[in-house]
Amino acid sequence: MNKKSWIQDMKAIPFLLPFFVAYMIFTILPIFKGLEMSLYDWTLVRKMEFVGLDNYKDMFVDPHFWRTLWNTTLFVILTTPTMVLLALGLALLANINSKLQTFFRGSFFLPSILSVSVISFLAIFMLQPYSGFVNTVLHSIGIDAEPFWMADKTLAWVSIVVVTLWWTVGFNMVLFLASLQDIPEQLYEASEIDGATRWEQFRHITLPQLIPIGRVILLLQILASYKVFAQILLITGGGPGGATRPLIQYIYEVGFTQNNLGYAATMSYALFFILLVLSIIQLRSQRSEER
Amino acid sequence: MNQPHVQKKNQSQLPDVQVKKSRLLERNRDPFRNIKIAVGISVAVLFTLPIIWMLFVSLKPNGFSTTNPVEWFIPPFTFSNYVNLIFDSLILRWLWNSLIVALITTVLTLIITSLAAFAISQMKFRYKNFIFVFFLLGLMIPGEATIIPLYEIVKSLDMIDSYAGLILPMIASPLGVIILKSFFDNVPKEVVESAIIDGCSYFKLFYKIVLPLAKPAMAAIGIFTFIGSWNNFLWPYLSILSETLYTLPVGLPVFNATYSQAYVLPMTANAIASIPVIIAFLIFEKQIVKGISFTGIKG
Repeated sequence: MNKKSWIQDMKAIPFLLPFFVAYMIFTILPIFKGLEMSLYDWTLVRKMEFVGLDNYKDMFVDPHFWRTLWNTTLFVILTTPTMVLLALGLALLANINSKLQTFFRGSFFLPSILSVSVISFLAIFMLQPYSGFVNTVLHSIGIDAEPFWMADKTLAWVSIVVVTLWWTVGFNMVLFLASLQDIPEQLYEASEIDGATRWEQFRHITLPQLIPIGRVILLLQILASYKVFAQILLITGGGPGGATRPLIQYIYEVGFTQNNLGYAATMSYALFFILLVLSIIQLRSQRSEER
Repeated sequence: MNQPHVQKKNQSQLPDVQVKKSRLLERNRDPFRNIKIAVGISVAVLFTLPIIWMLFVSLKPNGFSTTNPVEWFIPPFTFSNYVNLIFDSLILRWLWNSLIVALITTVLTLIITSLAAFAISQMKFRYKNFIFVFFLLGLMIPGEATIIPLYEIVKSLDMIDSYAGLILPMIASPLGVIILKSFFDNVPKEVVESAIIDGCSYFKLFYKIVLPLAKPAMAAIGIFTFIGSWNNFLWPYLSILSETLYTLPVGLPVFNATYSQAYVLPMTANAIASIPVIIAFLIFEKQIVKGISFTGIKG
């Protein structure tokens, strides 16, 4: 009996091993390696000396760390509610029963498939002062302003948020849409017999049925937004004057420009902790929803 | 998830219900339907306009510039920018790198996640639940936050600035294992048992019976892995140093940064990077949309 189960175990190994090895080296090991690095003075070339918790102490009094963490949080605050509402609105439009259904869905989703570099440079060139597409359209409809989209702090945030919404809303729209189409037709039919108006149907049938997926989207969105980096780096470079620089960009600069991987790993740990807490919340709520 | 659809179909086959339904629909017709459709069309135009603009700009003669936005959309047009970039820049090389990396990443991800998911779903071995939970933990580990130590690990494996360094860290997808496991779990027990009694090896069972039944899940995971790799920015940005190994997302900013007021060549570069994915999207739209609602909800 014992020998037989041992043979069974051996049979499973070739199936599990490839995933296990890749998972251990590239997913699990970095967590421990990161811990080690955060305790050292560590440059791009080599490990220098053990510094204990100094990197962590530095982090807590580093104004750039707090500033960039705040910028990232501000991005989350600005994009999350707008994203959920926009996604819901677009899903409702794409759910209208007409011949345009596929066209709507496709157009709303199309930007999502483009690379971050493409959408960033589209934004840069469209938002150029004087000759950019957006400003020239403004001029041609009689608005004589000359907004400098990247040079003004508020406008830079507006640009980043609008571009991010445009680029990523399609994914969330599709999630809402799938949920909309799963609402049983009978619910609407029954309420029509009871004389419900369309608004009442939306308020009392559609919205409640969308709350579970809405919660999933909200949390996925917060989680994804905390990882923001590429579009900000490419569109504003973190400017003007560091006003839009997110935490990951700062981590990157500390590690690879200032040659201080130890401190970069320390701040990564802070980000890791934030994201870990968020994803535990997300997995919990998703599991309770599935039940 | 399929339940409501099935019911809907059955119901519409009953004639009396159908009559009742159409009468009800007429009574409760949406008075704002046309307005909503008009809003939808405007938003759709707004969403696609930047992409259409990009395509039109790429067709203008090199050096063209205008302050009249309409002029971008009227001739003269030329394909010479495409010819120039394809022959005189690294764009094609970067496109090739992106394609190869995305393809190999997708194939390897599918192989290793399906093997692991099969073992966890269909085989009996010690510590199975522990191993599964251990794999599940990976869902909570954000790659962005472990990228600095990952860089050190890949460096010590001597894989910085190589295809292997781009591909291997991305293939162990816990989400893939979970989705495929839940799919494999639905394979009827009798099928599996009778195959084993007939002396079928586990590998044959996996390859011949279980895997073909999981095609939709494999397709969804494959499409997402491909798109994810194709658009991945941060990791190639860190780990690739030589220009000839850049992927498109990393190469394009380098190329575009040399232009600030001249639009035509950068937009052509963007168009070359986008046209293949736009075509792929038009072909696979249904699968992509289905895949999102599938993996998004499960994951």
